[in-house]
Amino acid sequence: MELDFSILLQDGNLPLLLKGLWVTIRMTFFALCISCMIGLLVGIGGMSKNKLISGICATYLAWFRGTPLLVQLVLLYYGLAISLQIDLTASVAGVLGLGMYSGAYVSEIVRGSIQSIDQGQMEAGRSLGMSHWQTMGKVILPQAVRRMLPPLANEFIALTKNSSLLSVITVPELMRAGNSIVADNFKYFEIYLTIALFYFVVNFVISTLIRILERKLHVGGVRT
Amino acid sequence: MIQITELNKYFGAHHVLKEINLTIDSGEVVVIIGPSGSGKSTLLRCMNYLEPIQSGQIMIENQPIGMIEQQGKIKEMPQKQLNLIREKVGMVFQNFNLFPHLTVEENITLSPLTLGKVNKQEANKVANELLLKVGLTDRAKAYPEQLSGGQKQRVAIARALAMRPHVMLFDEPTSALDPELVGEVLQVMKDLAKEGMTMVVVTHEMGFAREVADRVVVMDQGKIIEIDSPDIIFQHPSQKRTKEFLNKVLK
Ligand SMILES: Nc1ncnc2c1ncn2[C@@H]1O[C@H](COP(=O)(O)OP(=O)(O)O)[C@@H](O)[C@H]1O
Ligand SMILES: [Mg+2]
Repeated sequence: MELDFSILLQDGNLPLLLKGLWVTIRMTFFALCISCMIGLLVGIGGMSKNKLISGICATYLAWFRGTPLLVQLVLLYYGLAISLQIDLTASVAGVLGLGMYSGAYVSEIVRGSIQSIDQGQMEAGRSLGMSHWQTMGKVILPQAVRRMLPPLANEFIALTKNSSLLSVITVPELMRAGNSIVADNFKYFEIYLTIALFYFVVNFVISTLIRILERKLHVGGVRT
Repeated sequence: MIQITELNKYFGAHHVLKEINLTIDSGEVVVIIGPSGSGKSTLLRCMNYLEPIQSGQIMIENQPIGMIEQQGKIKEMPQKQLNLIREKVGMVFQNFNLFPHLTVEENITLSPLTLGKVNKQEANKVANELLLKVGLTDRAKAYPEQLSGGQKQRVAIARALAMRPHVMLFDEPTSALDPELVGEVLQVMKDLAKEGMTMVVVTHEMGFAREVADRVVVMDQGKIIEIDSPDIIFQHPSQKRTKEFLNKVLK
């Protein structure tokens, strides 16, 4: 077998892939923001004493963790459009779908890290006259965030990889760009290897950024 | 200052505080002693409602804490009201519970600042005065993990004092410390007592109890079995179980 990477330089293939990469990065970034917001809400809500709130959060978690992302995406994009006439653009559906799916996993990370903070911290805050939420915001969350970072890095990397599924609902991201090129020239190996490399670089950057952030936050002297 | 009447506390089916009656006057130092598991910590934690109670009443400066009666029904008081009472009751824990992500100074100023009691400048000034009082002015910018156990506990005391409490609760403040660090913490507590602070102290430091306590409360199996001056408790206790307990700890 002979590999011919010069194919990248023909027919505007490389610019097309780079354009796809940029869409992937944007989609992933917005999905990540949604994922963090949902994760925080559902994670904290899941610990609520209010049965309704914790019930809603538990259901959310069970649903989005218990069904395949691909199915959620096509439901959101094709399903809503056809049965409820809610016509989301592919990108909006994609970002929402990815964010909601990943949010379920982030909520578990949020909940776990909050619960891992010693009970005595909340008691100390309360005994000083601060409210539950003041203590949560000033004492518990700052410590919990440090513990969230390593599992969050994993989740964000998974999110980036999962974004390739958006190709199915016609979002012109990296995978779809690759598919369309391959359909023309049948250079499967060259093109998909290039794509893999792109994903790898993005994820490498993410994990490096988070590691730097972790080190920054360690200045506060919190290890445990 | 604190009035506890017919307090009962259960953990599930486990009856851990039984018909507790105790009145603590302003300026008084009360030391609570008794075997492990007798309910000392739980009683102390009830005094600022870190533990909910099942029956009875606890009054702090003539205000009920935790439970209030409304239209003939007993129910939990609103959080806001509870927080206000808690400001008056400082608490020092066995394992310090300092905030590890904040410096010593920030530990002390967090609550006054968060609750809008003072501005940043005043808060830092108060923190400095308190650190002077506990002998740690040079550690203001240190993080808790950089401190010894004794230093941590002194910061925890300063942190509680920053809220200008009217009463201080101490739950075995020296039990987690290496023996050579116990003295520095007890000294801070003695100074505090001399200034007239109302204090409730759970401790196994009998020397401290003898020297500082106005009254000693002896607990056993969820009950107060004896309350008296330290002289009487340590020399002529009326209860056999008090004698047995003292023999064990003083050996
Ligand atoms: N959070 C809790 N849940 C269940 N039981 C508890 C809890 N805290 C304390 N207890 C029980 O209550 C009793 C009194 O405990 P505690 O007040 O800690 O005693 P002491 O401080 O005198 O050693 C013990 O039997 C203990 O096992
Ligand atoms: Mg105890």
